[in-house]
Amino acid sequence: MTDRALAYLDEVGVGEAGPAWLDMRRKAARASFADAGFPHRRIEAWRYTDLARLLDKTMWKAAEPETGAILPPEGRVNPFGGIESWKLIFVNGFFRADLSDIGGLPSGVELTSLGKALASGTKFESIFDAAGPEAIGPLAALNAACVRDGAVIRVKPGVSVEKPVELIHYTTRGEGQASHLRHVIELGAGASLTLLEAQIGWGGHYLADRFMQVSLEDSATLTHVRLQDEDVRAVHLTTLLGEIEAGANYLATTLALGGRVGRMQTAIRFKGEGANAVSNTAYLLRGDQHLDTTIVADHAVPACESAAQSKGVLDGQSTGVFQSKVIVAPGAQRSDARQMSNALLLSRDAAMNAKPELEIYADDVQCAHGSTIGELDDDALFYLRSRGIEEAMARRLLISAFLAEVLEQIPEELGRDQLLARAQDWFETDAEEGGKP
Amino acid sequence: MTTPLLEIRDLHVIIKGEGKEILKGISLTVPEGEVHAIMGPNGSGKSTLSNVLAGREDYEITSGTILYKGKDLTELAIEERAAAGIFLAFQYPTEIPGVTTMTFLKTAVNAQRKARGEAELNAVEFLKLVRGKAKALNVSEDMLKRPLNVGFSGGEKKRAETLQMSLFEPSLAVLDETDSGLDIDALKVVAEGVNALRAANRSMIVITHYQRLLDYIVPDHVHVLAHGRIIRSGGKELALELERTGYADIGESAA
Repeated sequence: MTDRALAYLDEVGVGEAGPAWLDMRRKAARASFADAGFPHRRIEAWRYTDLARLLDKTMWKAAEPETGAILPPEGRVNPFGGIESWKLIFVNGFFRADLSDIGGLPSGVELTSLGKALASGTKFESIFDAAGPEAIGPLAALNAACVRDGAVIRVKPGVSVEKPVELIHYTTRGEGQASHLRHVIELGAGASLTLLEAQIGWGGHYLADRFMQVSLEDSATLTHVRLQDEDVRAVHLTTLLGEIEAGANYLATTLALGGRVGRMQTAIRFKGEGANAVSNTAYLLRGDQHLDTTIVADHAVPACESAAQSKGVLDGQSTGVFQSKVIVAPGAQRSDARQMSNALLLSRDAAMNAKPELEIYADDVQCAHGSTIGELDDDALFYLRSRGIEEAMARRLLISAFLAEVLEQIPEELGRDQLLARAQDWFETDAEEGGKP
Repeated sequence: MTTPLLEIRDLHVIIKGEGKEILKGISLTVPEGEVHAIMGPNGSGKSTLSNVLAGREDYEITSGTILYKGKDLTELAIEERAAAGIFLAFQYPTEIPGVTTMTFLKTAVNAQRKARGEAELNAVEFLKLVRGKAKALNVSEDMLKRPLNVGFSGGEKKRAETLQMSLFEPSLAVLDETDSGLDIDALKVVAEGVNALRAANRSMIVITHYQRLLDYIVPDHVHVLAHGRIIRSGGKELALELERTGYADIGESAA
């Protein structure tokens, strides 16, 4: 038991009394987290992200709501704003019905907040029971103990949701405020949905924990485009647990720029044959930012494909972490798993830790993993400059090209150009600005 | 007497950090409008000379001067030299994944125009310009859409370099082993492109190991470079002599 975990739970984890099934689970989660504490480097999956140390000595407290209009600073607006879609908006971890747009839904589509769904008597027992694989660590318990709200997105079998759903998080307050959300995404057999998610914050030193539970029935498809643009003083924790049935597809592309400390973890478990999961990430770090991308793909059944590609640009004294674990269960033949991490270090003080792991118990599988850590190519820089392109611009062109491989996978109508522009904007902002509290 | 476009005086160059001298006192004058060929065996310093003219930072000039249009060239950064009208056609053009040829060309043309205080071209103006020039060099639309030099054949790479030359309209073009990696048909196409760019206000330095290229790009003067020095200079007939005798004999007769 750790005092800091208890202090945190006492300040942040005080929720209103809910239904008995939920209270029971929250109580258990509270005990579990109090026992484990914040994960630290002596736990293998947290070796490069010593959360206990990185959280420093902040006295965390529960986030406060914001009731007025939300006006992001220049350059920090919702990149999906121009896309016709339904919207679920959360501010400081509170659902804002007044800013959301969930009216006129077609039949078979449910969009609501977790709070409303619970109030109407929906039970989410399995969702609160799920802990994910070991690498997720005690964050599942932390979230269950502290969660106040979340989004519920459910699509009935066979329904193709024509407009995307935006899930936008704004965080406007810092000073040690912490918020925990748990989102539930369930697609019935053959259903399809596009989820545009953004985490945008400018409040300062806050903690934002977003836990997402994705369940895809047979042949369902979820396309997930994410922007993580938190305040560079903030702590950002994302956990995505995906349960994927036969022939279903989970296709995710993420651009991450924010957070002083970030851990974005994805755990996919294949439950039926012929399923596919892709999780690609592009990230740009500077100052003293630390971002950890951890991916676990559990090939529990045969003939599934998983792919994770991470492309990172690291400047200043920033640190990147890429952990990717593939488990191929006995008998999960014809599994295909690919993991690749490419990091571009722009400064001598930046650091990258890449740890691909394979645990394979079947013989007819294709697994490829690799990692590169390098600098900008001098020959390419010379070539571009010899054509009159000044050095700063030449560097920019090469860095953008490096990230484009991931970002250009985003369909044009789902904010591709906006996210490419966001990556471009990164160069415009003063390097000294990043990560300095 | 008018100022020559390029005047190199007693140039000594070492590889930075190594101290090994590659160029050991080169002097070369290229008047406006002339084509000079520099021939020499491998390791003679030909590519070093072209890289030094373009401003590559891996080399250090230990003594001597390079005057370009009467001014000290060494004071200009790589990109400033390009804007001032110096163009190096690379022996092995660098592959740039992720940057389409078209995007690269537009960025480069406008960067040079901006540096010279000229108005930048908009997308429509640029497209018109590049299409006209690309057609003459048999550079397809498809090539322009592909990442720069990535997966280009030897001939495509050299045609793309020649296209750049025609877009940038340099005052001094340095062609580094333009013939390497080309078969005779590809060589003819590139040579035609280069010849079309010969002009009274444009000088060229054609660097080559073999005389073959000079059948198609006929120089006004030929210089022989060996062991970091120009050991002989003459008219275009010197290239033919070299073809017969080889570099060894020339070197010995000069020694």
